[in-house]
Amino acid sequence: MDEWRYEPTEDFDQAPVERLKNFPRQPDMLVFAGRSVAHLVMRGLLRIYNRLEIVGRENLPQNDSFVLVANHSSHLDAITLLSCLPISRIHRAFPAAASDYFFTSVTRVVFSAIVVNAMPFDRKENPRQSLELCRQLLETPGHVLVLFPEGTRTLDGTIGQFKPGIGLITAGTSVPVVPCYLRGAYEAWPKGRWFPRPHKLLLTIGPPMSFKGLTSSRENAIMIADSLREDVDSLRRQTDL
Amino acid sequence: MMSSSGFESPTFRAYLFFLAGLLIVAGALLVLLRFGFKRNVDHAWKAYRGWLIMIPLVFAALFLGRIASVIFFTLVAFAAFTEFARATGLYRDWGMTGIVLLGIAAVGVVSMIDDPLTGVDGWYGMLMALPVFVVAAILLIPILRDRAEGQLQRIALAILGFIYIGWMFGHLAFLVNAKNAYGYLLFLLFAVPLNDIAAFTFVRIFGNRKLRPHISPNKTWAGSLGALAVSMALPWCLRFSFPEFGTRELILSGLIVGIGGQLGDLSISVIKRDIGIKDMGALIEGHGGVLDRVDSLIYVAPLFFHMTRYFHGL
Repeated sequence: MDEWRYEPTEDFDQAPVERLKNFPRQPDMLVFAGRSVAHLVMRGLLRIYNRLEIVGRENLPQNDSFVLVANHSSHLDAITLLSCLPISRIHRAFPAAASDYFFTSVTRVVFSAIVVNAMPFDRKENPRQSLELCRQLLETPGHVLVLFPEGTRTLDGTIGQFKPGIGLITAGTSVPVVPCYLRGAYEAWPKGRWFPRPHKLLLTIGPPMSFKGLTSSRENAIMIADSLREDVDSLRRQTDL
Repeated sequence: MMSSSGFESPTFRAYLFFLAGLLIVAGALLVLLRFGFKRNVDHAWKAYRGWLIMIPLVFAALFLGRIASVIFFTLVAFAAFTEFARATGLYRDWGMTGIVLLGIAAVGVVSMIDDPLTGVDGWYGMLMALPVFVVAAILLIPILRDRAEGQLQRIALAILGFIYIGWMFGHLAFLVNAKNAYGYLLFLLFAVPLNDIAAFTFVRIFGNRKLRPHISPNKTWAGSLGALAVSMALPWCLRFSFPEFGTRELILSGLIVGIGGQLGDLSISVIKRDIGIKDMGALIEGHGGVLDRVDSLIYVAPLFFHMTRYFHGL
């Protein structure tokens, strides 16, 4: 009689918080359930409290992996961007979050990993490795990477420079990049405030871009970042009209 | 029968004060060893910290009454089964895992509700019938999926997971419905871990003939017999827990805890050895996983349950 082959999950011998710090995280029923419930509640709250409106959903690719990029002005941004996806897809959508901030204390790890499903992004010591992880993530069909290429929240409500990382991830690949502009988040919850205000949020989703024809070089990466910033900024001009 | 507040029961108060005292003495002893005699007590300290969390949790659940206790034991069973599922790989199959978790929840529910025919607390008949329904549901999954390949392993793991970790351990939760719930539960929750500790301590003191070298190389016959001796004496020392017990029941309780506890430990060791892992999880620092902590209790609880039910009813 052949013996059975057991395949323990890779994180079976880790404590729960350690499990959440891993990336990629092993699927966990409790985490999936918690995340689904949290998103239903937060979507409801964003609709009521912040009168969230989403325009341009038809621009989202259906089954392929893609990248969502947006301006970054508050802690509401990631959740708001995830709100444009169906609940069934949020477990495969990963907002990149600074590991030096979102993965430091137990409360932040629990929130970042369970609710936001964040990917810890090392923006200080080893950003190259994190970018490589992003690339790998997008190789699996159906994954969504949520990126804020400014790298930090705006201090004055304007859109800052886009870092070239997004270009390094997408240059030479067929992965579509969907630029978005989120209006009202800065007014609702600027950096330094404790609690969000009931300011209206408007999320505009632009048409997807592809950078397949470009080789992965520093210059191209900067060019891609600049052109995406321009796309986001033009969405801003459209919505401001 | 459990009262609305644990404090009303003299048995509960006795165990509470005794264990609080024990924790204080053990803590003081560790401090003395560490700072007075400069001994390395890191390992013992970790285990002690684990107890410092687990003991108050158990008392809080029992203090809050019947429903809270059932919920507590059900959550422990959830955690223990999830560890088993992760370690064996069954967790990759969410259908099977989900059915077993539902089955464990059902064990909790039947422990809470009244028997529809007699109106007494806890639906005993359904507790005994549950394996039929859960096994039927587990077998249904591959049929619904129209898949055969590799399914026997999943079915077998799911059934073992439910019967052993969910249902047999669930007997402990059902004990909340006993007339002498505090006595039985507190005795088991105290005596079974004490049996583990006794086995561990006797190994350290003497003996080197291995008990089961291929399953658990650290256990020796001396440790095992020493633990059995402690467990045989314990029901007499804690006789106030079950005044209705005669000599026969006291001897049986000692045997069930002393032998059953060690068999429970070895049973989980067999599983761990076969998989090739050391601990089932890492939830309780210094103790490993939940399943590593309750392994002996799983084996003992149903045996004790049916022994006492046979002689005294619930």
